[in-house]
Amino acid sequence: MAEAEKLLGVWAACARDEDEAWRTAVEGPATVDLAARLSTVPQPFLDPRVSVVALAGDILGMGSLACAPYCDDAAVRQGAAIGLWLFASEELLSPFSRTLANSDRFAAVDVLALRLASVSAPETWLWDDERREEAVRTFLLWSGFLPAGEDRDTARALLAARDSLSRNKALAEAYAEHRHREAIARRLADARAKEAAARYSSE
Amino acid sequence: MSDPENPDLVNPLDLDEYRAGSSAALTDHERWPTLTEGGATQLTRWRTHPDAPTWVHETGDRLTEEQLDRVRRPLSRDGWLEEHLETARGLPRYRKLTGLTLLSDFPLIERRDLVTDLASFVPLDADLDRMVGGTSSGSTGAALMIPDDIEEVARSFHLLRDLVIAAGVEWEPDDERLALAYLVHQRQAFTYVSLISSFAHRPMARVNLDCSGWPTVESRARFLADANPQVISGNPSSLNELLADDLIGVVRPLAIFSGAMALSGPLRRALEQAFSAPVFDIYGLHETRPIAVRTDDGPFRVLDRRVVVEALDADGLPVPHGEAGELVVTAGENPLLPLVRYRTGDFGRLISLPDGGVGITDLEGREHTSFIASDGRMVACVDLTQQLQAHGAVGWSIQQHADGSILAHIAGGEKVSIKAGLEALLSQDVEMDAVDRVSQLGEGKPRRYFSAVSSPIRGSDVQARSSP
Repeated sequence: MAEAEKLLGVWAACARDEDEAWRTAVEGPATVDLAARLSTVPQPFLDPRVSVVALAGDILGMGSLACAPYCDDAAVRQGAAIGLWLFASEELLSPFSRTLANSDRFAAVDVLALRLASVSAPETWLWDDERREEAVRTFLLWSGFLPAGEDRDTARALLAARDSLSRNKALAEAYAEHRHREAIARRLADARAKEAAARYSSE
Repeated sequence: MSDPENPDLVNPLDLDEYRAGSSAALTDHERWPTLTEGGATQLTRWRTHPDAPTWVHETGDRLTEEQLDRVRRPLSRDGWLEEHLETARGLPRYRKLTGLTLLSDFPLIERRDLVTDLASFVPLDADLDRMVGGTSSGSTGAALMIPDDIEEVARSFHLLRDLVIAAGVEWEPDDERLALAYLVHQRQAFTYVSLISSFAHRPMARVNLDCSGWPTVESRARFLADANPQVISGNPSSLNELLADDLIGVVRPLAIFSGAMALSGPLRRALEQAFSAPVFDIYGLHETRPIAVRTDDGPFRVLDRRVVVEALDADGLPVPHGEAGELVVTAGENPLLPLVRYRTGDFGRLISLPDGGVGITDLEGREHTSFIASDGRMVACVDLTQQLQAHGAVGWSIQQHADGSILAHIAGGEKVSIKAGLEALLSQDVEMDAVDRVSQLGEGKPRRYFSAVSSPIRGSDVQARSSP
């Protein structure tokens, strides 16, 4: 659990605010299409001998994954590789009805590798419908999309209902604390907060 | 001053955050959501006053209509401590601990805990929309960003007003005067004009009396004469400056508030005599907010608000009633930082006042120390603190000997920049000894100033005490 808590902390530190992610998400492809694509992840993507960092370089181009230093962990590596496959598949197979191009691709890979893989083993995403749907919905949100045909509230409720993290009380609390720390730091660093408020005396 | 066109002329003492306008981010309607036409007129008047200093900052109280009435009233104290402890038990800092039944069950915390993990002291369900940043240079270590609550900050004005009224002095909105002038006297400071939305949108200003920021040498006197603030707040350095020849006759405050540092009896009496007004000495920390007040040489009275003061020994146990101990404060006014058993680093004796209130006597720890530069200028220790913190120092002991020479022991930070900053401030060589850790400075507070040359009270022969 300590390792999972650490990985959740890494995700909390690099992720933008979740409310904002929901607020800014726009309609994207259907979950069923992504789920089908996820199930067909090619073996080379799951091969532990293949470097995820190199794979990311080929698929995502310039930039860095927050999960890269933790890819020695099999779950982190697998989670990242599956996310990379979803992006690569648009070129290797066919684009989704609404393309993932121009989405927040690094965040989408990181959320699978760090947040979801910490509490849901990536191999289960391949054979368990519920876990696969959680992975797809998580991936879509952090790519910047709502599932096709769903409004914001519905999409949020459906992901919350499948949230593996919420079933692990201790980890969920630890994650909530990580997010809290990041929210406070973000708030205090925000220029509007830094303008401060007028004060009336010395203390 | 710095010349952006010529880097060679950059003054090593100028700190970026004090560049005019560098921290302003809001519109006036965001600063004062209930801004009135009259208030806007006042803003313009004082911002553009021909004798106004260069305003470094712009900031307001951000109060909405529904908040105005709330901040005018003190928070209820009924059952507050139990509610406060229940909130604390849910903080990330404490939630894994068991056995936190009574106040005395809670572990002591100190400034270092806030610096290390501030968020663990902020409730998980805190309303971050009410959070603004308040920088605390403090007196016990590294600088700290405190999560200020806009309602609590606004309510602190009404605490001052309630104290003035309780002293039998009327303080009502006045169309012609600044409601309040918050004075500082230091090389660099955040200065601004604001409106007090909950006080009929009357104007107030944070004003730096340091001569460098005014259009002409006569400007500060003319500005203050025109503003004639109803109430003046400040610290002993800035209030002492109020006794300067050019200022002493120009203001007629209803009351004066001193905070941040120890106010000596002679300075308080000099202020009372000069302005015929009560002088309130407030004891408090930014982290805890005001704790106690006095208006004479007697004990401080712990304020009737959400605050509990304990006096503890070196082992963290209560000292017998009336004996000296470190003051440890539980503070419940700021909902964004509900502190339990916060070590202040200050020492005093708790006593019972005749009316049943709690008093603090022999309060020690808020040293008011000034240094004298080689050209005779008085340099307040806050100026040194700004430079030391800006260059990363985490602890220090700075001593000025009777012959004027300066010896500085510094823990942490950029040594070359620190030495250059101190020497520029004091216009003389500074002998500096760098240490690796604060503990190498010896026992006591991590920030210490000692001066064998004392700061004279303006207009008198009485010498203010130098800090021990």
